[in-house]
Amino acid sequence: MASSPTSRRASKEDKQAQGDEQNAKKVEKSGSFWPTWQSVRELWSDISPFEWDVLVASTCFKVLLFPSYRSTDFEVHRNWLAITHSLPISRWYYDTTSEWTLDYPPFFAYFEKVLSIPAYFIDPKIVDLNNLNYDSWSVIAYQRTTVILTELVLGAAVHRFIRGSTDPSMQKIISASLFLHPGFLIVDHIHFQYNGFMFGILLWSILMARNGNKLASGFLFAVLLNFKHIYMYLAPAYFIYLLRSFCLSPSGALLPSHFLSLANAVILVFLVSLGPFLLMGQLPQLLSRLFPFTRGLNHAYWAPNAWALVTAADRVLLKVAQQFHVEGLQINASGVASTSRGLVGDTVFAVLPNIKPIHTFIVTIAFQVVYLIKLWRTPTYKSFLTALTLCGYTSFMFGWHVHEKAILLVLVPLSLLAAENQAFFRTFTLASVAGVFSLFPLMFTPAETFVKVAYSLAWAFLVLPPISKRVYEFPRSLPFVILDTLERAYIAGFALLQLFVLAFPLFSRTKLQGIEDEKGGMAFLPLMLTSVYCAVGLVWAFVRLSVIYLRQM
Amino acid sequence: MDEIYSMMPQASSSSPRAARLRKTPTTSRDTLHTFPERGQPPRLKTPTLFPRSPSIGIRSNTSDTDHSEIIAPIPRKHMTIQRNESQHWLGSPPLSPVSTVSRALSPASSTFLDTANPRGLRRHTQSFSSLLEHDKPASGSIASSVPRARPPAENKNEETSPARRWARWIHKQGLKQLAIPLILLVSTLVRWCIGLGSYSGQGTPIMFGDYEAQRHWMELTIHLPFRQWYTYDLPYWGLDYPPLTAYVSWLCGIVGSWIDPTWFALYTSRGIETPGSKVYMRATVVFFDLLVYIPSVILFTHTWQSNRSSRTQHVALLTLLFQPALLLIDFGHFQYNSVMLGFTLLAIDLFAKGQDVLGAICFVLSLGFKQMALYYAPAIGSYLLAKCLCLGFVEGSRLFIRLAIVTSISFVILFLPWLPPFAPIPSILAPISRIFPFARGLFEDKVANFWCASNIVFKWRLWLSRDTLVKLSAVLTALGFFPSVTGLLYHGYQVGASEKLSKKETSSNAPPVPILPLLPYALLASSMSFFLFSFQVHEKTILVPLLPLTLLVSGSSPSSFTFQLGVLVNNVAVFSMWPLLQRDGLALQYFAVTLLWNRLIGYNPLKYKPGTLVHYIPLVIYAACFTLHVLETLIPPPARLPDIYPVLNVLISTPVFAFTWLWAIKRGIEVGWAIGGLGHAQASSPSSSSALAASRSKQSVDGQGANGSERAVKSAVEAAGLGLGAPSVDRAAGLRTRSLGYAQARRASSALRDPF
Repeated sequence: MASSPTSRRASKEDKQAQGDEQNAKKVEKSGSFWPTWQSVRELWSDISPFEWDVLVASTCFKVLLFPSYRSTDFEVHRNWLAITHSLPISRWYYDTTSEWTLDYPPFFAYFEKVLSIPAYFIDPKIVDLNNLNYDSWSVIAYQRTTVILTELVLGAAVHRFIRGSTDPSMQKIISASLFLHPGFLIVDHIHFQYNGFMFGILLWSILMARNGNKLASGFLFAVLLNFKHIYMYLAPAYFIYLLRSFCLSPSGALLPSHFLSLANAVILVFLVSLGPFLLMGQLPQLLSRLFPFTRGLNHAYWAPNAWALVTAADRVLLKVAQQFHVEGLQINASGVASTSRGLVGDTVFAVLPNIKPIHTFIVTIAFQVVYLIKLWRTPTYKSFLTALTLCGYTSFMFGWHVHEKAILLVLVPLSLLAAENQAFFRTFTLASVAGVFSLFPLMFTPAETFVKVAYSLAWAFLVLPPISKRVYEFPRSLPFVILDTLERAYIAGFALLQLFVLAFPLFSRTKLQGIEDEKGGMAFLPLMLTSVYCAVGLVWAFVRLSVIYLRQM
Repeated sequence: MDEIYSMMPQASSSSPRAARLRKTPTTSRDTLHTFPERGQPPRLKTPTLFPRSPSIGIRSNTSDTDHSEIIAPIPRKHMTIQRNESQHWLGSPPLSPVSTVSRALSPASSTFLDTANPRGLRRHTQSFSSLLEHDKPASGSIASSVPRARPPAENKNEETSPARRWARWIHKQGLKQLAIPLILLVSTLVRWCIGLGSYSGQGTPIMFGDYEAQRHWMELTIHLPFRQWYTYDLPYWGLDYPPLTAYVSWLCGIVGSWIDPTWFALYTSRGIETPGSKVYMRATVVFFDLLVYIPSVILFTHTWQSNRSSRTQHVALLTLLFQPALLLIDFGHFQYNSVMLGFTLLAIDLFAKGQDVLGAICFVLSLGFKQMALYYAPAIGSYLLAKCLCLGFVEGSRLFIRLAIVTSISFVILFLPWLPPFAPIPSILAPISRIFPFARGLFEDKVANFWCASNIVFKWRLWLSRDTLVKLSAVLTALGFFPSVTGLLYHGYQVGASEKLSKKETSSNAPPVPILPLLPYALLASSMSFFLFSFQVHEKTILVPLLPLTLLVSGSSPSSFTFQLGVLVNNVAVFSMWPLLQRDGLALQYFAVTLLWNRLIGYNPLKYKPGTLVHYIPLVIYAACFTLHVLETLIPPPARLPDIYPVLNVLISTPVFAFTWLWAIKRGIEVGWAIGGLGHAQASSPSSSSALAASRSKQSVDGQGANGSERAVKSAVEAAGLGLGAPSVDRAAGLRTRSLGYAQARRASSALRDPF
């Protein structure tokens, strides 16, 4: 009931002072963030024609994608529906009927349990545990529909972002760009996952932080962590921000009531989530499912991060070493096999020293500490948002066995900063173009190739030029001019890269037949090039963002 | 364009005044002076600008102070006043009180034929003035604040469609040049995504469906000599389309075999369903759509709507490119209709540009691609004949001979492989007998035409022999398109005659053809009569009448009857193909694409508050369609009547199509009447001064009757009022007339030029 005045007041406050700590107290006292019936109705009547357009058009379009390619994630989620529906809770994290065992935190399991109830009435075979690889029309339509419906959480969150924004017309573009993000289209509606839903919760949590309701923000983030633990990438920024700006007064004194309420909220969430498994004594089993430290440094397709560049450098050095027989280079025999295959498994470098999980961990923490110190000193909303992005970015750059889909953890919060100024916008452009392109290899079927390219292009043309018009500044000095030109050239290079990737199969079929037979690794070339090229842009955008954050804010 | 925009705020701001004038016509000056007190901030509109003769004042003053409020809103309001002036003498009230963009496809149809009774008109202007007052206080004195003041007003009357909103947005962002590429990109994307679904005959072995037919033609054309194309293994999808389809199939087959020879291997590739071949086949449809249909649609918006703002053109483009029926059949079901329709549309575009010979060639190509284009032939043929009549004896007969020669040569070239130097004479019979299959039944499946609908009570095939039925259907079809064809010819002749009279005074700098506005209605009437009455009609053939109808929709305002009917017929047409689409497994696409289009063009049958019983009819039709869908999902058809749902579908759809046919004939007569009447008026009463024109116009505003002379005067006043100097008269006249071939108003304005 109290949510509507909250948000309204919050929006006013937001205009007065972004991240003003004094207001937070009032808002926090004024009540819950939880969506009540009244607020839902208000939300409904509050949707402008523009927002309806986006919703209807995108829904119609997503429905057309029902018959498109599905990855194994589709079967993974179907299997989870079956597990949660047909097994008692005590068996959820033990079942191994399918190779796609449940490896998401309990809230997601509960979520699947809820989804499995209507599924049973639509088609009981969907939730049959032994009905592996079931792909009838009913299960496709049902699971795809659930993705569209749960994505409304994202829609609601970005919709609330417009209300109470300092620049509604720009926030409108950014909100629409988030709701229509090619990343969500590729990963959720074609590849199949529920990222839209979970990023909706993340954005809702960020929105609460913007509106000054930090308790709600922390609570929602705790909920999110229990849906999918990959959001731990962002946890340090949340921890520092909430500690500094909510639990401590500006002078540095501890506010016990704030601290206790936040701690209780978070503990409560974790109890609801993990409690049943704690009681059953299954926590170790659960954790072993969630954190399988048995995989390699890189994924099959290298996520475009720093390690992709290192791995690529290793391969180049290996080639050089083999060619010229450089003295003093120790060539690791198992590394030669490992890098040329590029398959799942432990990546072993041939020339460079090997990387252990602990190394990646140390590098990640070291970078994050720098940003967190900055955040501690300036705990404003904008600073929090940037630090949040950078935390996710650092984890993506230096994490162990990072998935290419994790780039969404960077792109989504970064989108909210896109219209700040030219520097942020350019970083956003580089990261978005490179990040979205790096998702393209998720879909390799010819029919979806056109969809992903055309959709991303349309999105880029609808989102980037209007923001650019608003924030554009001429580069101020010669180095900046050169940098500007290089960045433009880099973005233009994606057209060539895409052409190469498209033409490669034809090319390799006719010309490279012999080479392929000899080495067996040429099929990996387009993927490797994509990964390395995107990694260059993403690493550069990471450096850019770090410099902007540490120098400007 | 700036000039034109700059005139518009005056036009809009004076609209309430026009309304008041209508109520108290004797005290026009007093009303003028009281007008600013009605909530108009004087800093924007000083009364001193007004005291002039009303109709002239409406459009003439262009002072600098007024430039401030020009920027965004204008074309819409400009249209509104135009309606105010022109609606008074016709029948039905507008469906919605406020109209946004009101002109139909041709200025002829909107300026003279859009309908509103006086009461409706008053309602209309009142709401318009209130809208204006709502706008004014917020607008402030600086220009840039005007656009910001607009959204609340828009939200209030909810008139704008998403297409319009988007077009406005992209123009406001200064990304005008991106609009067309983006529309193309997104529409192609949607086409492609429809193609992700299944196609006709997927996974139904032995015969499969239309997809296999098209693929089979690619297979047989690349492996067999010309002579065997129309004779090879006829029971398995023998080629039964004209030669251009065969050539295109050959090209697709050659390219496809180069990519993967197994896709089109002779005989062994029958029923091939690999993902690669499917993607290739889908890509060919998208490719030819991009090559023929989309350029012709863009050309259409440029030629037929060249007097509109580019924003409106973009909206029209969106309306045409997302037409659900064509998308579902071509990219879902799998056919190449867009090529045939694209060529016909190209012919229409070229006719509008005065390139009749090129247009005729395009139409021959259309016929040569698919014989369904024959449905347009009476209209196109009679249009060209009327054009010849129009031009007078010498030029007319010259054009006629050129057309005859070019058309015959094009046909000969198309059929060359089956003609004497390359083949014996009898071999031409093979393609001809394949293309016109009178040996088949009266109708196939269930199709929403006269024969199938009446077959429920009157079993035609039991009562009459096939030959009699062929003849009967031919006679009925001819009767069906007779009115529009004779209308075209008659008006062509009439214009030709009046041209002779007025030849001395008009400086004929190649005026566009005045009978052009008749063409879309003639096309619609002719194709619809074929659909309803001819022999061997498929349900997919409804696409042929839908093209001219959608062209009309794309140029009409959302509140006009044309728009309402056009969208209704489009939706019913998609509904009439439901049994087919459902069989193809395209149910989801059916709903998604139809919803997308209706949303895009801002159509919502529930939104319009029905005033009379007539307005309930669309609601009843939609309710019937909806009920049928629900019943079909819930209750399986009874064993005795397995076809009950398709038959009910036919019974719902046929009356709508029949009504459209009658409406097209009626509109054809109306538009023709306007042309003829105006020609007469222009000869009889050339108005000599603006004062005279103004006084007459005031009479005509009172709304008694409407004869040709009043209309001529009014159009002259409109033309004169748009600008003061002679060049701007010319320009203003061109603004409303040039592109649509409406020569009369232009000539009237040139008659006015002397006094100025």
